[in-house]
Amino acid sequence: MKKKIFCLLLPLLLLYCLAMTAAAENPNRVVDMADLLTDSEEQALNAQLREISERQQMDVVVVTVDSTDGKTPMEYADDYFDYNGYGYGESRDGVLLLISMEKRDWWVTTTGRGEKAVDGAGLDEIEEDMLSDLSAGRYADAFRAYAERCDRLIDGLGFNWPLSILISLAVGLIAALIATGSMKKQLRSVAPQPYAGNYTRPGSMNLTKSSDLFLYRHVTRTARPKESSSGRSGGGHYSSSGSHHGGGGGKF
Amino acid sequence: MADLQSFKCPNCGGAVQFDSGLQKLKCPYCDSELVISDVLDYETSCKKDGQDRFDWEKNAAPDWTPGEADRLHSYVCQSCGGEIVGDETVAAMTCPFCDNPVVMTQKVTGTLRPEYVIPFKLDKAAAKEALRRHYEKKRLLPKVFKEENHIDEIRGVYVPFWLFDADADADLRYRATRVRSWSDSNYIYTETQYYALLRAGNIGFDKVPADGSTKMPDDLMESIEPFDYSEAVDFNTAYLAGYLANKYDVTAEQSAERANNRIRRSTEKAFASTISGYSSVVPEGGNIQLANGKSHYALLPVWLLNTTWNGQKYTFAMNGQTGKFVGNLPMDKGAYTRWLLGLLGVFSAAALAVCWLWWMLTGG
Repeated sequence: MKKKIFCLLLPLLLLYCLAMTAAAENPNRVVDMADLLTDSEEQALNAQLREISERQQMDVVVVTVDSTDGKTPMEYADDYFDYNGYGYGESRDGVLLLISMEKRDWWVTTTGRGEKAVDGAGLDEIEEDMLSDLSAGRYADAFRAYAERCDRLIDGLGFNWPLSILISLAVGLIAALIATGSMKKQLRSVAPQPYAGNYTRPGSMNLTKSSDLFLYRHVTRTARPKESSSGRSGGGHYSSSGSHHGGGGGKF
Repeated sequence: MADLQSFKCPNCGGAVQFDSGLQKLKCPYCDSELVISDVLDYETSCKKDGQDRFDWEKNAAPDWTPGEADRLHSYVCQSCGGEIVGDETVAAMTCPFCDNPVVMTQKVTGTLRPEYVIPFKLDKAAAKEALRRHYEKKRLLPKVFKEENHIDEIRGVYVPFWLFDADADADLRYRATRVRSWSDSNYIYTETQYYALLRAGNIGFDKVPADGSTKMPDDLMESIEPFDYSEAVDFNTAYLAGYLANKYDVTAEQSAERANNRIRRSTEKAFASTISGYSSVVPEGGNIQLANGKSHYALLPVWLLNTTWNGQKYTFAMNGQTGKFVGNLPMDKGAYTRWLLGLLGVFSAAALAVCWLWWMLTGG
């Protein structure tokens, strides 16, 4: 009987596993149409991106093109992501780096959880890590730096146990000290009386002089803090296919 | 307008000048703008700063009537020196202050006759019940402490009090600021206006109590206040029957210091409460003088229990009129540690759960 159930369940299980792996429909996470990488570099990068993507359940992709066919880098990156089946899960979580050699543009498009992982600050970090290598033409190094930075940024989405435990312990200690402090206070009922307000003769207070003299004024001024000039703001936009994307880019 | 009388800036002390553009006095050092009439008022007020004065008239307590004092006996504890007064009915007993047996007796001599007495309103059963309630709902109270208590030895004592009447004349000065803030496209401006506030007047106090016994801790006696003086009656030895009375061993003059401090603070508080509408108020000076100070000698009813636990003396006192019960209790250190660690665990776990929930809701 047990065996029978197992025989029935096994195909279902296999099917489920297949479905899981099929969630990322496009296995090719390096699309080097501009031919910036050697074959071995491409293989190494693809392996690295697959490992990160499967572990983090989020596609991390690199696409290089000679031209964006008249689209802006943002439109091209969004559409490439949407129409090539990238993205994990229902929210199609992913991060895609587009390199366009036409005008030396780079653009990172993000979707789903990727938008949260790679926000404005995250983009700045990616830019800092890879821009000098990109400009110098060391594309393999630049893409590796991008992959590693994405990996770390996605890690940042996870629940930060050490920090949370530390904060919880601190909050717990303060709360416990307050609670036990009030228990301690219950034991003490003797205290000197600093005031004699109970013994004021009712209605005896008589104010004979009450004047408020204005002496002088003093005006100080401080410069208003300037709005921060980081161009990468959150919010995101909708691509031609109607899905929501975040991201940003620049020149190299 | 060549050479005016020179004024000092109340902010920085520099010599101020008249600014013809502003039509005001302006300090060239700190840019303060001044109003001349107010500066003059302020300067005259500063010159009046004097010493606080607390004078008390000698109290005119009535003397004992002939034969009245004879009915009272004075008992001196050989252990702590505490002196108590009782009528002839007081038999063998223990000292209410140190719990040792009292044997020596003598006639009452040379003390003032109390003016007033507030008779005991609550009996011993009420006092014992109040002590039991005092032990309740105290999680850190050692359990054995309750059990080892000789609750029966709670005793009613008439404690000698000096009651002070006085009128306080106050002339006080405060420094206050009012802060206003606005901004334009480039700057945030903060304007601070400085004021000198003058308050003068008087306020009366009736029967501010200070106990006249060195055997009674001052803070303990202040903690069972207030007494309702409307129930005070003229002293008669008949009220002492069945109770003990403590003789005063601190004179009115010596006790007055404590009453003075309380009257001064309350006067300051009462006048400070007439100030409103400022961002900050700091008392700057002035003086308080007492007039018509009088003191009265009165006996007030207190239930007392002295007990020793782990080498430490604990005193409990109950207002014999209102039933207010006070007395510090020992703490069970082990229980404290257990509660602290237990609550630390519970609160930390709760905080961690909230952290995690928050992370889940913000969509990791």
